[in-house]
Amino acid sequence: MKLLTAMPHAPRLKALAFALLAACSLGLGTGSSLAQTLAPAAAPLAAAKPASAYSSGVAYDWIYLDLQLIQQTPGFSPPVAARALGYIGLALYESVVPGMPGYQSLAGQLNELSSLPWAQPDEPLHWPTVANAAMATMTRMMFSNASAENKARIDTLERSLPLKYTQDFDPNTVTPDINNRSETFGKLMAMAIMTWARTDGGHEAWGPLRRDRANYVPPSGTGKWSATPPAFAPALLPYWGMNRPMVLKTAADCPAPPPPAYSEEKGSEFFKQGMEVYQISNAATQEQRQFALYWADDAGKTPTPAGHWAYLTNDLLKSRKASLASAAETFARLNLAMSDAFVAAWYTKYTLNVLRPVTYVQLAIDSNWVPSLMHTPPFPDYPSGHSVQSSAAAAVLAKEFGANTSFVDNTHNDRGWGPRTFKGFKAAADEAAASRIYAGIHYRFASDGGKPQGQCVADKVLALKFRP
Amino acid sequence: MGALAANAAAQRPAPAIPHFVEETDQAGLQSRFEGQDEFMVGGGVAVFDCDGSGLPAVYVTGGVNKAKFYRNLSQRGGPIKLQEEHSGLELTNATGAYPIDIDGDGNMDLVVLRVGQVEVFRGLGHCKFENANKRWNIPDNNDWHTAFSATWEKGNAMPTLAFGSYYDRSRPDFPWGTCTPAMLLRPEASGTRYAAPESLNPSYCALSMLFSDWNRSGEASLRVANDREYYKGGQEQLWKVSPGEAARPYTEAEGWKRLQIWGMGIASHDIDGDGYPEVFITSMADNKFQKLETGPDHPVYIDQAFKRGITAHRPYVGGDIHPSTAWHAQFADVNNDGLTDLFIVKGNVSTMPDFAILDPNNLLLGEADGHFTEVGQQAGVASFRRGRGGMLVDLNGDGLLDMLVVNRLDKAQVWRNLGAGTADKPAPMGHWLQLRLHQSGGNRDAVGAWVEVDLGGRIIREELTIGGGHASGHLGWMHFGLGDARDVKLRVQWPYGGWSEWQALAADRFYRVDKEAGVSAWKAP
Repeated sequence: MKLLTAMPHAPRLKALAFALLAACSLGLGTGSSLAQTLAPAAAPLAAAKPASAYSSGVAYDWIYLDLQLIQQTPGFSPPVAARALGYIGLALYESVVPGMPGYQSLAGQLNELSSLPWAQPDEPLHWPTVANAAMATMTRMMFSNASAENKARIDTLERSLPLKYTQDFDPNTVTPDINNRSETFGKLMAMAIMTWARTDGGHEAWGPLRRDRANYVPPSGTGKWSATPPAFAPALLPYWGMNRPMVLKTAADCPAPPPPAYSEEKGSEFFKQGMEVYQISNAATQEQRQFALYWADDAGKTPTPAGHWAYLTNDLLKSRKASLASAAETFARLNLAMSDAFVAAWYTKYTLNVLRPVTYVQLAIDSNWVPSLMHTPPFPDYPSGHSVQSSAAAAVLAKEFGANTSFVDNTHNDRGWGPRTFKGFKAAADEAAASRIYAGIHYRFASDGGKPQGQCVADKVLALKFRP
Repeated sequence: MGALAANAAAQRPAPAIPHFVEETDQAGLQSRFEGQDEFMVGGGVAVFDCDGSGLPAVYVTGGVNKAKFYRNLSQRGGPIKLQEEHSGLELTNATGAYPIDIDGDGNMDLVVLRVGQVEVFRGLGHCKFENANKRWNIPDNNDWHTAFSATWEKGNAMPTLAFGSYYDRSRPDFPWGTCTPAMLLRPEASGTRYAAPESLNPSYCALSMLFSDWNRSGEASLRVANDREYYKGGQEQLWKVSPGEAARPYTEAEGWKRLQIWGMGIASHDIDGDGYPEVFITSMADNKFQKLETGPDHPVYIDQAFKRGITAHRPYVGGDIHPSTAWHAQFADVNNDGLTDLFIVKGNVSTMPDFAILDPNNLLLGEADGHFTEVGQQAGVASFRRGRGGMLVDLNGDGLLDMLVVNRLDKAQVWRNLGAGTADKPAPMGHWLQLRLHQSGGNRDAVGAWVEVDLGGRIIREELTIGGGHASGHLGWMHFGLGDARDVKLRVQWPYGGWSEWQALAADRFYRVDKEAGVSAWKAP
């Protein structure tokens, strides 16, 4: 059976794969320069059996494992987790987009990503195998510090998926030659994207500091952030806002509206909002406290906020029996948006350096107050990262599935807090944003101010041309 | 020799030991100085009267915790009562504080040292304050500020401010040799704000600064205690600060001797009655007591700590045999016997194994022959917490100096001085006098003045300064213990002026001493 339509005069995939793999293994910088030379200018592949003909099973299982790895691997704070998901989502899409007629690669539209490897049209590929290889490779590289047990889970998942999804991996059609070629292309794509990822500034940000960056010294002065009780931990990822966004041209492209001017005067807007956090969190209802815990999505205990939205999206795709192509497109948009949302939010946080409510309330209202439900995260207040990221995610999903799509959220079933059904994505995002006020860790203006920033990020992502 | 010394000690009359009782919890003092490495130094307290009650309010820094302002609600002669109030001074990352009336409006202002930008607050009256950094053009640099002192240079209505800083905050991985420059703020020509800062180069990680008229020239110089732990090639310093000239350190050619210690705190007082201030510098075991050796022409000092029994180099109680770590130091008369005593706050940097963990604060009583005797344990103030800043100050207006101590990673403490009595029935030990100086012009509190009190043949004297100690400042009543003298004489050498006439005063009272209007008794409202 002919899987792919031939395209004349195209170089052979194996040669390309070998060249790029060799480049990567030799550490010759970006694979994209090589790929640029080898990739055809335009190569719309019309697959006999396109990616849309396969289930999203491969994508589902890999996203599911990635979310577990985020939870169980050291260093995956919310921004880091969002970044990992961003590249994973992109790798999924780019690995199968040659099998999505009418779609195109995002290379050329993303920052400093001019090109990516391209499948050779005269050599058939099996898209679930490509996706499986790409996701396995990406997951291995992104979670290189995973435990030995979790590394074994990656290997096991890669081997087991063809057996689990037999309808997608028909041995009669996936010949050894096709399988080998598909695996190679998947790995190749993952490596090319990881090569790009290494240059965004975030790759080392949570490990040893980059050599060109001094140790962070937070600015000081009236109204500026200072470390918060009880741990008074140093600022988390202070340079994250300097990372290269994937879609936004710069992190400053999506600003949050200015917060109220700092003041400890009783009639001031800032004081009112500080007082509101103090009063609301002290008198939070059981339902509000539950919301606060539900959306806290702490690192180490949960897949983090971005993972929460990826989780519910994964379930939604599964419940709708989405195709591999559809899942790839959805995760590309969603995850790019969430990753950029964190960069934009962090940029604003560390530009404005607004102090947290716990500090403000202690200074201006009640010396001995601390939020009773949870500790304040160790970074500046404005805007709420939850708000920015949730708003971005909700806006993307609303476009993808419809604004009034109800969905079931199973993210926290294992903690006894679900399943929960939401009437729409915006309702969930608004609840996530408000939950931080109930928790006593954000002002209302931080939750409100994050929403337009998140919407802006979503708009930029939604403006990407997935189709020519 | 040892036997002779022991005999001599045995023959000296034992000084009267004051009794202290800790009243931290009853007083309502609830402050902790906490934080990691950037808060290993600092931990200051400031005391000043901002409500006209005559009782000093207390401002306690908290490191990463909020610095708190406490109004003093103590009953005169009774237990200490402090009530936290919102004053506008609330801050995080505060490490030290010094009261000073910068604009000469009669309302006390406050300089707050911080890990980060210095914050200077303008007093608005009634113990309310507002940030005046912009108003007075205080630089917003983000250094680690660790020391402060101030003087009014001749002809200026505003004081000259000196700020010391520690090592480069962006170099915690290798801080050695990265001391950031201290700065001098001088008033600009308008006399209402400060000109651009002048760097004091070289700077060697100052942990205490004090403007003092070391040679009685009429002009204060800036003594700086530097921490040898982090400088390279540095030393203790004395800067000549003259109007219209760039500040410059005294040199070895002028007699200044290179001294390298872990300088952490400065106390200054004329202990031996020669008219010139001696200087005590705290360090890690190597505390110094410096006396001017060759007269006022050259800054040549010799160390007499051992001779006077104030090396205070290791714990005197508790059994820890390791060397001590000393921070705040202050000369004052805690038993009102007319002899100046020495208070030293001590505490391990953190848990440094080569230095004492059980490191009690010192209370060394001065004796007539110039020696000092340790009585911290007997007096009830041998705290083993990790001390930093502190203050001896009369918190309840009974003429006896009470004690405040700020501890790192622990709660601040306050002790009431009961004199010869008990908590239920305090009893005076000797007579006393407390004075507030006042003059017209910018320097309303007459900082830089020298006050002499004639006890009837023996003169004690005190210089009114702002700075020194360890991150801790006081501006308010000047306290003099008078011993048995009920009637004394007083005179004042006003800044850049001559001596006033001797004036007879009765003991055990508060007086306001006005340069123009003379002396008047002060009564609590």
